[in-house]
Amino acid sequence: MAADFVRWWTVRWGSCDARLSSSATPMAPPVTITSVDASSPEAYELANVHDVYDQIAPHFSSTRYKPWPIIATFLQSLRPEWVGLDLGTGNGKYLPFCPCAIGLDRSRNLLDIARTAGGMTREVVQGDVLENYWRPGVFDYVISIATIHHLATPGRRKRAIQQMLSAVSPDHGRVLIYVWAVRQDEQSKRTIPTTDSSQGQDVFVPWVLSDDQNRIFNRYYHMFADGELEELVITAAGEIGLYVGQGRQEGIEIVQQGWERSNHYVELRRYRVQG
Amino acid sequence: MVRLITHNLLACHAKGCTSNNFPLQFKDVQIVVRESEFNPDFLRGFIPKIEWPALVSSSRELGDTSLSDQLPEMLDDAFLKTLHRVLFEIHVEEGVMICPNCSHHYPISNGIPNMASSVTLLIRGLPYLASSWLNMKLANDLKIS
Repeated sequence: MAADFVRWWTVRWGSCDARLSSSATPMAPPVTITSVDASSPEAYELANVHDVYDQIAPHFSSTRYKPWPIIATFLQSLRPEWVGLDLGTGNGKYLPFCPCAIGLDRSRNLLDIARTAGGMTREVVQGDVLENYWRPGVFDYVISIATIHHLATPGRRKRAIQQMLSAVSPDHGRVLIYVWAVRQDEQSKRTIPTTDSSQGQDVFVPWVLSDDQNRIFNRYYHMFADGELEELVITAAGEIGLYVGQGRQEGIEIVQQGWERSNHYVELRRYRVQG
Repeated sequence: MVRLITHNLLACHAKGCTSNNFPLQFKDVQIVVRESEFNPDFLRGFIPKIEWPALVSSSRELGDTSLSDQLPEMLDDAFLKTLHRVLFEIHVEEGVMICPNCSHHYPISNGIPNMASSVTLLIRGLPYLASSWLNMKLANDLKIS
């Protein structure tokens, strides 16, 4: 059923694989510009994100991984009795570093890896980051690393942020979001079709199977412009009645935001004054 | 993995289903019990989050009757060990979770619950929906006859 959809979309969209293979070299093929069919972002994501991850899942290394400094510091600052949610957990590479966390992802095949990430039983749930499957505010923290850039419209990326804000405790809930940036550092192995970091850009990022160089899977990404993530957070919070800034009875504080290793990140904290 | 620590946090999210949508009821479950490391400090911190009546009824659905109706006042080691077993060591590997309000079915397979949206279910889960509809219809037909 899913495979039929991919075939249908490939026909509908023209074969991006064919377009790429003409320029593909044994090295990483280039990132290419794409545009989203706004009439059906859900089907677009299904074909260009979820089904791709399901197919390339076995090739994701589930071995050791060291989180980037900002993520590591965030995870170390959490209280040991806290419970969190990893939205877009993928192969679960952050789960071993979290105090009790549930990993959520759309890709069933990635979750099959994540459920034993780090050699231990992990809690994983198949689901969508646009939905909230939980008692409201039940989590102490949420991380979403390299996930919402796979959502195909600004509205869907915003809604994912709103779900994160609703999932955490209104008194102390903490949120860390990472997304891919247009602005890439010199360590980045990717060739990017744009250098104007004031504009977000929709792209296909190719994944070449290590054991079959002829099979290239294109994943859809929205590369974030400078400042785009913060703006999205402020709009998302405002729409669900949450003030952004300090000094109110209730709201969200932007603890830090910035750019690290070709990604934009933002750390948020919910607060509510007692009494 | 569906263990009761996760199940106790889940609620139905079907459109318009906002009350009596918790806890999801287990059905047709296959269970495996696996020992895991006991962490009393975590449990003490987690207890305020627990919806106790839901945890009691859900653990009984899974055949475990070790929890009492009321959360005990004394959180001694014996109690914490019981709680640890209920929350962390009972693994639901197969089965279904059903919303008590709207009867939405959330299947569990190979230890992973599928909470994905109804649209996703429509695209990916048509065979499953068709079979549950047939089952329902058969059950109804039998009832009528």
